[in-house]
Amino acid sequence: MTKGRRMARIKLNVNGENHVVEVLNDTPLLWVLRDKLNLTGTKYACGIGACGACAVLADGEPIRSCVIPAIELENKAIITIEGLSADSSHALQQAWIELQVPQCGYCQSGQILTAAALLEKNPNPSDADINTAMSQVLCRCGTYQRVRAGIHLAAKRMKEEG
Amino acid sequence: MSKLDYDRRRFLKVSSASVFGAGLVLAMTWEDLPAKANDNSKISSRFQPNAWLKIDDDGSVTVYVVESEMGQGSTSLMPMILAEELEVAWQDIKVERAPLKPVYGYQYTGGSASIRKGWATLRSAGAVAREMLISAAVQQWAVNHQDCYADNSYIIHQTSGKKLSFAELISTAASLPLPEHVRLKIPEEYKILGRAVPRLDIPQKVDGSAQFGIDVQLPDTLYATTVHCPVIGGKPKKIDDTQAKAISGVRHIFPIDNAVAVVAEDTWTSMKAAGSLDIEWDNGSNVTLNSKKIRQQLQQSANKAGKTNYQHGDISKILNSSNKVSASYDLPFQAHAPMEPMNCTAVVDDERCELWVPTQSPSAAKNTAIKYGFSKVSYYMDKVSSKLGFAERDRVDVHTTLLGGGFGRRLKQDYVAEAVQIAKEVGGPVKLVWSRQEDMRNDFYHPQTFHLMEGSIDADGKPLTWWHRLSGVGKVGAAKFPYEIPNVKIDIEKVDIPVPTGPWRSVSHHYYAFAQETFFDELAYLGKQDPLTLRLDLIKDSRLRGVLELAADKAGWSKALPEGHFLGVAAHFSFGTYVAEVVEIALDENAQIQVLRVVVAIDCGIVINPDVVRAQMEGSVVFGLSAALKGGISIEEGRIQQSNYHDFSILQMHEMPVVETYIMESNESPQGIGEPGVPPLAPALANAVFAATRVPIRSLPLSIQLKA
Repeated sequence: MTKGRRMARIKLNVNGENHVVEVLNDTPLLWVLRDKLNLTGTKYACGIGACGACAVLADGEPIRSCVIPAIELENKAIITIEGLSADSSHALQQAWIELQVPQCGYCQSGQILTAAALLEKNPNPSDADINTAMSQVLCRCGTYQRVRAGIHLAAKRMKEEG
Repeated sequence: MSKLDYDRRRFLKVSSASVFGAGLVLAMTWEDLPAKANDNSKISSRFQPNAWLKIDDDGSVTVYVVESEMGQGSTSLMPMILAEELEVAWQDIKVERAPLKPVYGYQYTGGSASIRKGWATLRSAGAVAREMLISAAVQQWAVNHQDCYADNSYIIHQTSGKKLSFAELISTAASLPLPEHVRLKIPEEYKILGRAVPRLDIPQKVDGSAQFGIDVQLPDTLYATTVHCPVIGGKPKKIDDTQAKAISGVRHIFPIDNAVAVVAEDTWTSMKAAGSLDIEWDNGSNVTLNSKKIRQQLQQSANKAGKTNYQHGDISKILNSSNKVSASYDLPFQAHAPMEPMNCTAVVDDERCELWVPTQSPSAAKNTAIKYGFSKVSYYMDKVSSKLGFAERDRVDVHTTLLGGGFGRRLKQDYVAEAVQIAKEVGGPVKLVWSRQEDMRNDFYHPQTFHLMEGSIDADGKPLTWWHRLSGVGKVGAAKFPYEIPNVKIDIEKVDIPVPTGPWRSVSHHYYAFAQETFFDELAYLGKQDPLTLRLDLIKDSRLRGVLELAADKAGWSKALPEGHFLGVAAHFSFGTYVAEVVEIALDENAQIQVLRVVVAIDCGIVINPDVVRAQMEGSVVFGLSAALKGGISIEEGRIQQSNYHDFSILQMHEMPVVETYIMESNESPQGIGEPGVPPLAPALANAVFAATRVPIRSLPLSIQLKA
């Protein structure tokens, strides 16, 4: 009955920094990031975990921040697009620039972070692996071909750099 | 434009209104100089010869871009055009959104028109600045003008090799009169245009720093969301907000003209409270509206044969023909579903309104703000005074942010109207964000259409008559008929059905090309003709033939295909541009279509940036595939049935075909690229399926027809 009516103090570790926020106790991580921590690179698009625009990493796993209450993530290390690298130096960000992947760009934080989790586990993904990992991350502009090429390019660069 | 015309236009008198369509704008531009270039007394640290650029003393060139950036590259392509003529090094270019000033005209980004509208203006603006910088160097060196030229942000004296940077010349340039004539470059001289220059908006789109409308955070902002009647056109009657108000952080709940607004301390609280409202709606008069009935209405009106859009010959010959096909084609409503839902941040007081909004038309947003932000009396006083020619009262500021997708949706300003009403009521800044469900159900949809097609062939198997009767919801249109067929008639009937409709990427070309190009293959099949060869025989426009030949060649039309693979082709002219697409599919035993490859050939005239053309073709293919393969929008009991991406699905990564884009070389004037790639996709795909099954595809989404 009181769920979602009462405020809660929530401790979060985001991009290596500790934060304490006071929000409704069922507030999804997405809105804490955006409205309280001003980390607006994580996007709202569907609110039901169906599109992946809100994807962030929790202990390295891609999660849908629009449907997971922040309170359940208190003991996880959260990484958002702002924390993926300090200077866009992550191989995926570099590949995204090189191949000019984004169009409107709105879904790209979710694309990049989901791809980062894939490469972390599978440094040499096949097209089928990319399909499995990326199919639930939607892009209305239709950048899929370049997202795929960007993942392959980043994988290649990461291998070259060891 | 012929080559001869082009040469004649190389010398342009910028002040002449007769040279280009945009001449009037230019003439206004020179008079509306924020820094008066011909004011001799003024020593300036910047040089701003017109409203389209300024050069600062650090040598940076700021280009003012009028067009909204929604991923189509306007904030890079427009500066490229200006930079080419200015001869500035690309790394010196900065971009700013043009303010809402009369000099820029009515600001909207749509109809794939940005480059077509800006081409003459931006080239001239850059060329004028270049000539003035050259004149400044000529004055300093006391040399001949024709011995100097601009290159890479320098003015260079050809004979001596001495040079001065733009930065060193701006104060002299700012004191010079505007040149009477400027020479525009010819394509052979281009250094920037035609190159895959990296887009300026990309870096911020990979690190999370890009500011979309939804990302705007003003101090002390309150967060709002709105709930609309599920029935189209309904309004709130009674609101029980007991549950909602019990939620901590909820500030205000009140009705606005057609919705209920919830204002809270953060977005989640507003959306949660919105979900706990108990609203009694006045459903209005549309509760009996449904997709099936709409289809029946469209069918009846198509049979009536409405306004004739085009005809030649006599299609009544079809009646006596024994060699004919009749078919009806159906396409559903489509939502835009841009990834960024509708949103707008507004501050309103009695005197002023300020908006931060991802809109395709800041001018329309401004007009909306005036209408909803101020009293009716002052709204009409403004209108009267502007009709009488008085200067406009400067009371609305629109900050146009990046757009998380547009596709036509953001040409409408309904969410601006709501944000302004809410901000006016609340006082202080309010950020309105729609939930995805509200976004999906309160769209201005791509219209549902119905097409009656009849055609006959002669003894040689060539088309003899062609009758296309189109009826659709709201504003529907046809396109130029491309085929040399002796008897042709095209009729259009607009049906008044209270479902809001609006422009959707490629607008009428989408459904029109689907019916035309798919039926063409049915006629070709009846006459035992190869659909490509027959198209090439019957199309007189050499540029349309050109893209067809290029796409067919690259796709291997005449070569043997792997077992189970099939090709389909379609071509269409829209927004000044010619596009042909060949779709390669594989069809498995469960009638599941796998779209393997789409070969796109495009002739859009002079290419500003080939990589952006490729990106737009890739995006257009995906947009077209989503409409062709997925569900569309349906209506029951006056209610939009879809609510989110799970039931209005769009193409996903694993369904993505390989897209190859081939661009025709051309010195014709540059044309649209955002939309023309969409129309050929669905018919080319349907034709590939027809080639595979010989069962004609006559409705979208075609997957539903295949399963049936």
